[in-house]
Amino acid sequence: MKKRIITLLIYLLPLPIILASLFIGPSQTATPDAIINLIFNNTGNTNLIQSVIFDVRLPRVLLTFLVGGSLAISGCSIQAIFRNPLTDSYILGLSSGAAFGAALALAYSFLPVQVSAFIFGLVAVGLSYFMARKNKNVSIVSLILSGIIVSGIFTALLTLVQFYSDPFKLQSIVHWTMGNLHNANWEKLQSAVIPITFGVIVLFVYRWRLNVLALGDDEARTVGINPEKDKLIILIAATLAASSAVAVAGIIGLYGLIVPHMVRMIIGPDNRQSIPLNFFFGGMFLLVIDNFSRTLSGFEIPIGVFTMLLGAPFFIFLMKKTSIGWNS
Amino acid sequence: MEQLNHAIIAANLSFGYKNSLILDHVNVEIEAGKLTFILGQNGSGKSTFLKILAGLLNAQKGILTVAGNNATRLSFHERSKLIGFLNQQHKAIFPFSVEDVVLTGRAGFINYIPKETDKVASIQAMERVGILHLRNRNYTELSGGEQQMVMIARLLAQNPKILLLDEPTTHLDFVNQSHLLNLLKQLVSEGLTIIAVMHDPNLAFMFGDDFLFLKDKKVIRSGETMKAWDTEFLKTIYHQKLETIPHNGRALLVPYLN
Repeated sequence: MKKRIITLLIYLLPLPIILASLFIGPSQTATPDAIINLIFNNTGNTNLIQSVIFDVRLPRVLLTFLVGGSLAISGCSIQAIFRNPLTDSYILGLSSGAAFGAALALAYSFLPVQVSAFIFGLVAVGLSYFMARKNKNVSIVSLILSGIIVSGIFTALLTLVQFYSDPFKLQSIVHWTMGNLHNANWEKLQSAVIPITFGVIVLFVYRWRLNVLALGDDEARTVGINPEKDKLIILIAATLAASSAVAVAGIIGLYGLIVPHMVRMIIGPDNRQSIPLNFFFGGMFLLVIDNFSRTLSGFEIPIGVFTMLLGAPFFIFLMKKTSIGWNS
Repeated sequence: MEQLNHAIIAANLSFGYKNSLILDHVNVEIEAGKLTFILGQNGSGKSTFLKILAGLLNAQKGILTVAGNNATRLSFHERSKLIGFLNQQHKAIFPFSVEDVVLTGRAGFINYIPKETDKVASIQAMERVGILHLRNRNYTELSGGEQQMVMIARLLAQNPKILLLDEPTTHLDFVNQSHLLNLLKQLVSEGLTIIAVMHDPNLAFMFGDDFLFLKDKKVIRSGETMKAWDTEFLKTIYHQKLETIPHNGRALLVPYLN
């Protein structure tokens, strides 16, 4: 019963939170009072306020929601198919690949930053996967291991690019890696929305299969599921969603690892429920974090930094408070 | 459907890992509708043989026929309707509820999302095994024996024609061992074929219809002249002094005291 109420809340809350988020921001003109004044009395600086809300805040709010949702849903799927609650796409090299791609584009501008980040993110996960593959089989340990190696290689390459960049470019590279939702716009939203929607739909369709795959390869085979094929489809969908999110928002560390655990603590491990919930909760939670990062201080704290500072303690609190059966 | 006498026919089946041959030109036929036990010393290849029958390992040589079908031509999906397999040990990572674990046995019937009929089938399977009271418990928090019973319920939910069980009684206590073996006998009387690897020859001799032994990379029976529980025959399998005592027309083995 309690679970049902919380689940219902997670499905219903995003809309009011998205609306409320439109009132929040550093603009001196589009303050909550001014917006309410505009709506009810139709007075005030109409054009400016409308522009702040529809051109600046709305794309940012929607993008934040989409990014949070896709990181969470892809983290949850990756944890299930690799039977490992310690993984997400970042551990498979996605973030370091994307960071290198972004840095390369920022330093040498041969490709749009977003496109380059997206491509190198996919390349990194692909490398980890094929390095770990042996006799048509991908073992958990070898995958994590090759993910760490690939991450190491791309981090080294990133450092190399940073080392040879001039201070101005270096600054934008560092900013990018901190997570950057502040320069969201409709174009960015547009570029992310198609691959993310595609990935999220595939993961949603496969949500119960994740339960079967999470029991192990042999246990899946003997009940009629081909684990290699299903895992590859799910990995591609999850990586597509996560790398599109990273390409537009930069690195938001550990988010895809933490949120699936939070959702599991709330409603248990059954992926039929947790996959859709991860999307909604992940989107909503990142939006709340982003709202704090926009209001707590005079300047904007990078979202990647703020996620860690706010998300990590909340995660520890939940972990201490609930038992979800990791003890064995 | 045509009634087939043989659930399994292995012809010249050979299997080996890199440098060691495990099975060498195995020829064996296993009858349908019987409870067949596979016995043999540790490391004799019992589990490997069972995994080949289950399609989890592929023999390098020979032909395996399962319920009249050439096994190498069966897809995972087709095979899941014919054969169910219980692994020796299963380690779950996520704390799924017992009901959710049993429900995964229905994967062969489910496109993407389970239906009400699948739920009913899992509940019936849990009831049959006697674990319905565990349905909302976390699988990871159960004892080894309880987990074993959950995986057997999962097999029944899958509803195949042949059950392959690798040491199904290992984690079970005395009471549950007899409970499970009686259940297996019951299932066989309803038309299922069950082939199980066993550690304990006594339980096998008490409940089984047919007995296979793995020895020197071959699968053998005791033959026409001897029974499986004959002391002379068992000595050739276990290479040990041993004693048997008569029991219900068969015999039980007594461990040898130095």
